[in-house]
Amino acid sequence: MENKTIGLDKGWDYMQKGITKLKRILEGLPEPPFTSEEYMMLYTTIYNMCTQKPPHDYSQQLYDKYREAFEEYITSTVLPSLREKHDEFMLRELVKRWANHKVMVRWLSRFFHYLDRYFIARRSLPTLNEVGLTCFRDLVYQEVHAKVKDAVITLIDKEREGEQIDRALLKNVLDIFVEIGMGQMDRYEDDFEADMLQDTGAYYSRKASSWIEEDSCPDYMLKSEECLKKERDRVSHYLHSSSETKLSEKVQNELLVAYANRLLEKEHSGCRPLLRNDKVEDLSRMYRLYCKIPRGLDPVANIFKQHITAEGTALVQQAEDATSNQVNFIIILLV
Amino acid sequence: MKKEDIVKLISAEGMEFVIDKEAAMVSQTIRNMLTSPGGFAEAEHGEVTFPEISAVILEKICQYFYWSLQYSRGKETEFHIEPELTLELMMAANYLHT
Repeated sequence: MENKTIGLDKGWDYMQKGITKLKRILEGLPEPPFTSEEYMMLYTTIYNMCTQKPPHDYSQQLYDKYREAFEEYITSTVLPSLREKHDEFMLRELVKRWANHKVMVRWLSRFFHYLDRYFIARRSLPTLNEVGLTCFRDLVYQEVHAKVKDAVITLIDKEREGEQIDRALLKNVLDIFVEIGMGQMDRYEDDFEADMLQDTGAYYSRKASSWIEEDSCPDYMLKSEECLKKERDRVSHYLHSSSETKLSEKVQNELLVAYANRLLEKEHSGCRPLLRNDKVEDLSRMYRLYCKIPRGLDPVANIFKQHITAEGTALVQQAEDATSNQVNFIIILLV
Repeated sequence: MKKEDIVKLISAEGMEFVIDKEAAMVSQTIRNMLTSPGGFAEAEHGEVTFPEISAVILEKICQYFYWSLQYSRGKETEFHIEPELTLELMMAANYLHT
């Protein structure tokens, strides 16, 4: 085994060359991939630097330099490239940089693996993996997440209006939100979901107020059902599954609950006329839509009750007027 | 034996040891090197150089890999280590994360 000690500067110099090579590969520059010798030499350098007798035991410095390597790469290359782009291009760049970053973490963790095994375990420090992710989160994510969220919501609204958007891109972006939470959904929920729900509510509220003026009850219900289906579709394609209930609830609220009374009381097409004309399909749609809302069926049930009472009273009147024959009376009641 | 299932471990003196990939994966270090995507040359050539491990130690290590595989399959024999080799063997094991 090696007996001579390696100085920190010399050793780090060697590592720096390896890191630069890695960066060039990530940027897509022409660069031959790592050979086994290079890998082993990098790993061995770290190994030697950590197992030397103190004061040449450079574990702490190496740990700090590892973090610095990420910070340096991010501030010099990643952030400028993100700052100069907007909207959809920025989203694409972000996805690319995140993938790159994950590869970089993986490779550097392999080189510095020896640190992970002993130094980090002994001092209970965050692992190399966590350090890498934290760097990205604190430097990149912190700065861009608001812009990213706005860009994503704009794209979602565009899709609602019928335009085609790149769904795979959105899925990748939203995965970043989830992954950067490092095990918890709080980043996704606070930084994205909350605003998305709010924007959804506003969008549907606008739509509902124009539809309620123009459309008949069955048409309005058709459109509502369509919207609910599309939103569920959206969740399955790129939103996170946890958003589904909250999103459906929001849409239902804006479309159905807010305008429930106006909808049902509509003069020529509301609930009563539907019952009178036995429009079973429309009535079943109404049931389907409202049964998911807590207490949503109450107004419907009320109208139904009134209708039956009215019809029943009319029939009784009819029967009384027509004939006093008991049999006829019962038959008319039953039909 | 198919080409993809073997690896070559090369010692400091240049002596080559050809073993199954499965045996080599007992070492975390070797496993990492062989399983990382994105252009590791040796993933294709299947050879790893150890400029710091001598041939005698590397031979013992290869024997250990096979013994370890056998042991995990239930055959509980003993692995004999000559006392002179112990120190170097342990350092190599530390290096290779075995």
